[in-house]
Amino acid sequence: MKNTLRQVFHSPKFVGGFVIFLAILLTMFIYPLFNPGNPLQQIGVGTFAKPGTYVSLYDATKAKTETFRLPEAAENRLAASLTDEDRVAMIEYFNAMEIDISDLDMDDTDALLQMWEENYDPSVRPKGMTGARVNYFKRLNNSLQDLKSGDTLIIAEEGEDGELVESKKITTTDYVNTNAVANVKTLPLGTDNFGRDVLKELVSATGTSIMIGLLAGTVATIIGLSFGLLAGYLGGFVDDFIMFITNIFTVIPGFVLLILISYSIGQEQRGAAVVATVIGLTGWTWTARSVRSQVISLRNRDHVNLSKLSGHSLLRIILTDILPYIASYVVMAFILQVSSGILAEAQLSLLGLGPRTTEVPTLGLMMNWAMLYSAHTNGSWWAYFPVILVITLISFSLNLMNTGLDQVFNPTLRD
Amino acid sequence: MKGYRKYFGKKIFWFVLTFVAAVILNFILPRLMPADPVASITGKLAGGNADAQAVARIYEHYQEEFGTNLPMYQQFLRFCKNAIHGNFGLSFSQYPRSVSDIIGSAIGWTIALQLPAIIVGWLLGNILGALAAYIRKGFDKVLMPVSLFLSNVPAFGMAVVLLVIFGVYLKVAPISGGYAFDMIPHLSWDFIKSVISHYQLPFWSIVLVSIGGQAVGMRSMSIYELNADYVKYSRFLGIKDRKIVGYVFRNAMLPQVTGLALSIGTMIGGALVAEIIFSYPGLGSTMYAAVTAADYPLISATTLIITIMVLIVTFLLDIIYGFIDPRVKAAQVE
Amino acid sequence: MGKVMLEVRNLKTKYVTRFHEDVYAVDGVSFAIEEGKSLGIAGESGCGKSTLALSMMGYYFPPLHYMSGDIIIDGQNISGMDPDTVRKTILGSEIAYIPQAAMNALNPTQKIIRFLEDVIHAHDPKKSKAEIREMAEARFAEVGLPLDALDKHAVELSGGMKQRTVIAVSTILNPKVLIADEPSSALDVTSQKLVIKMMRQLMESGHVKSMLFITHELPLLYNVTDDIMVMYAGQIVEKGTAQEMVFDPVHPYSHGLMGSILVPEEGTRGHKLAAIPGAPPNLKRPPDGCRFAERCKYATADCRYTAIPEKTFGEGRMYRCLLGIDELKEAYSHE
Repeated sequence: MKNTLRQVFHSPKFVGGFVIFLAILLTMFIYPLFNPGNPLQQIGVGTFAKPGTYVSLYDATKAKTETFRLPEAAENRLAASLTDEDRVAMIEYFNAMEIDISDLDMDDTDALLQMWEENYDPSVRPKGMTGARVNYFKRLNNSLQDLKSGDTLIIAEEGEDGELVESKKITTTDYVNTNAVANVKTLPLGTDNFGRDVLKELVSATGTSIMIGLLAGTVATIIGLSFGLLAGYLGGFVDDFIMFITNIFTVIPGFVLLILISYSIGQEQRGAAVVATVIGLTGWTWTARSVRSQVISLRNRDHVNLSKLSGHSLLRIILTDILPYIASYVVMAFILQVSSGILAEAQLSLLGLGPRTTEVPTLGLMMNWAMLYSAHTNGSWWAYFPVILVITLISFSLNLMNTGLDQVFNPTLRD
Repeated sequence: MKGYRKYFGKKIFWFVLTFVAAVILNFILPRLMPADPVASITGKLAGGNADAQAVARIYEHYQEEFGTNLPMYQQFLRFCKNAIHGNFGLSFSQYPRSVSDIIGSAIGWTIALQLPAIIVGWLLGNILGALAAYIRKGFDKVLMPVSLFLSNVPAFGMAVVLLVIFGVYLKVAPISGGYAFDMIPHLSWDFIKSVISHYQLPFWSIVLVSIGGQAVGMRSMSIYELNADYVKYSRFLGIKDRKIVGYVFRNAMLPQVTGLALSIGTMIGGALVAEIIFSYPGLGSTMYAAVTAADYPLISATTLIITIMVLIVTFLLDIIYGFIDPRVKAAQVE
Repeated sequence: MGKVMLEVRNLKTKYVTRFHEDVYAVDGVSFAIEEGKSLGIAGESGCGKSTLALSMMGYYFPPLHYMSGDIIIDGQNISGMDPDTVRKTILGSEIAYIPQAAMNALNPTQKIIRFLEDVIHAHDPKKSKAEIREMAEARFAEVGLPLDALDKHAVELSGGMKQRTVIAVSTILNPKVLIADEPSSALDVTSQKLVIKMMRQLMESGHVKSMLFITHELPLLYNVTDDIMVMYAGQIVEKGTAQEMVFDPVHPYSHGLMGSILVPEEGTRGHKLAAIPGAPPNLKRPPDGCRFAERCKYATADCRYTAIPEKTFGEGRMYRCLLGIDELKEAYSHE
């Protein structure tokens, strides 16, 4: 036993999978300690806020300011507010003025602005340009000048007589320390369509999905193991009958059964545990098959016959003379069941047949929400890509562990 | 020949039996719903957005169709009779279209998308797996982790990733539908071009996902066969390595046919969900629409059709396998 | 004295393992077989007899590697030849092999005749399919195999039939040397007899000019081969005629081995089975002295540290032991 374990932990594949899975599990337990609270709480009013750190604007204006004269500040400000559209328009203007811009890089804000300074002349109307376009360039030039000169912003409050009273001036050189701002919120993965913190939701959903996988895997393994043991050990009519059922459920796609059953249950009754049980109930067939064939090869071994002759009960023979020999197969089958259970939940949820949406998030539900609100077509990658990545990583790590185990227990596959 | 006959006989027997079981399940499951199925079906519908007149009409229709006041066996006979005539009733959500009409227009898209995609993925995966087993070294070291990773990307995940990269950012392929939305299906060069360009992303997402799993399986099968006794023996008789590799890959590939037969159900499940991502006008999207609109008759009929499709494919693969692999025939004669 | 068909001189081969620990499985083996003669090799499992069979093919693939020595078939030295030339001109046609597990030696999904075509085309690509079928049918008829076996797949043949088919396929090109590695061990008694009969027939008809027969079943060797060698830990420890080796073994290991068998016709049934205690040495680091010393009842301190030479005596007999023949005989007589 100890030797087997050592062999298992010497398999690079198993260790690789184990490390990934462990990292996911640890994140699941540790992250909520730093960021407690209900993962389904809607913190944002809008949808799909981008990942990043959000600073309360109100608090920032109240915070104590320091003055910094940073040389690149104006340039950064310009670069941030100069849209791609503006840049293209400037290039268009240069072309219309027949200026040589072969060395100009559109993304180089400095060079672009310098060129503009040198060449923009409001008094000249380039050939073939409409009046509206000329006015557009005038406006563009004005806003550029504004940004450059750095107007002072004035914060005003309503005075006692209803007049606006200046309370604070903010110049371009004023800075506040983020630590001095009362409210700063970092959202590493932004918010989703309901304005919920995606990372917090993801961690919670990963936990739920793994639980669903574990429960589904347990149900499937218990059913598959019992059927396989009975069919393989007893043989005869019991074997025929169990294999009859197994064959039928092998050919009818489990996914179809899942859809029918889930739909029949109705959404109000579908908690995460119910969904997991249903997944387990439809996925046991190949565990039963492989356990059965293992048991058949075992049932006429000497130690089993000896037990039979000694008059041991069926239960005892199965528990002490058969189970220990197939334990490695059962573990491997269980691991695969867990990973396919997680996938099945995701697919069901995408169809709109997942667990009810009010209690806990699952990976499938998150995916479903992201798709319903077109996160994939409006560029909100943070709402769906981490979900896909987590599903893939869980399944990848479990399969990697399984391959490692397989190589330890079936030496012919070793290289 | 006797061996084959016995083999076919057995397979046909199982095919029929499973078919009957599938029909029975399709009949029983909705009837396990608490309370009156007709009431709960139409009850769900009332919360939807169909007009009241249609609901009333459908309620009557289904009371008639389900025959809930009749004994169970008569209900079953009625169900079978309707199913044989291809009569699956009327759709709730797309009233007054009939369910068989909706399925009829979707099934072609699904078959045309999934069958070639699964076959291409199977072939490519097997070739890569065989190469990995034969070349080993660097190729194997890179290819295997990649294949294992790919095989674990869910089909819908691959669909979304391809859609975003090629459809949204690179804009090289359309992202939704089976053809341009402003077209009416007809036989013209433009329409075919549109169908082909819409076909790309769903097709490759299914192919990519199935490649991984097949490659992993083929690799270990090939390694097993490469160590077989007949390889050593053939070498000692002076047969060229290239010829021996031919034996090995043929023998390793044949069990992969069974692997395909066993996994086709799972693969189609994943591929149906991939259809939803692309709003491909096949059975997957039909089912999604049906679930969203609580259109029970459509769900029931779609699942039955998918089951039958999987059954037929599995049956055909079994038959083909019996023909091409003498090991199966020998096992049947014993 | 007949023409020498196979001569092996000081052959050394090794297995290269994953961690570059070499296993010297065949360590300086020399012998010769004349035309029309058969030589048996006996020894415990793991003594290197199967590796010797593989090593003599002159065609090596990992983990087995050639180190030194000569393999001379009918005057032609094949060691050091380019592997592709060996494959084309030697394997199957000059030297043929019958594997240990003949049950799985045939590709299960190929018809026997297709395999024969591949074998013959590997050496003579111009032979037509009709010629090959004619050849195969003639040989199958001669050795008493049913002709319809040619059009069957290997999986459709029974175990004994498979083994005889393998023998027929191996010898289709009339090899000068046939190496049979435990060809009958896995079979029932009836099939075993048929296999032995077939091999004798092939020798007598001259299709096979000489044979090396490897087995762990000594009584079988006595009945089948002219000469017997005993192998231990990668080396030959004794060589002689079958008669001499069974009734007058000299080396303590052969002596122990012969004592451990039951010879039914000698009426020794019930005779106590004298198993030799201990296990063979680790061939990753073979001992300097006698390899059998650890298990030998008669070993002295010298045996463990002195390199043991091969000693010849009588009519072409050889043994490898520090002790003299008389000393050994004397010791045996006290048992």
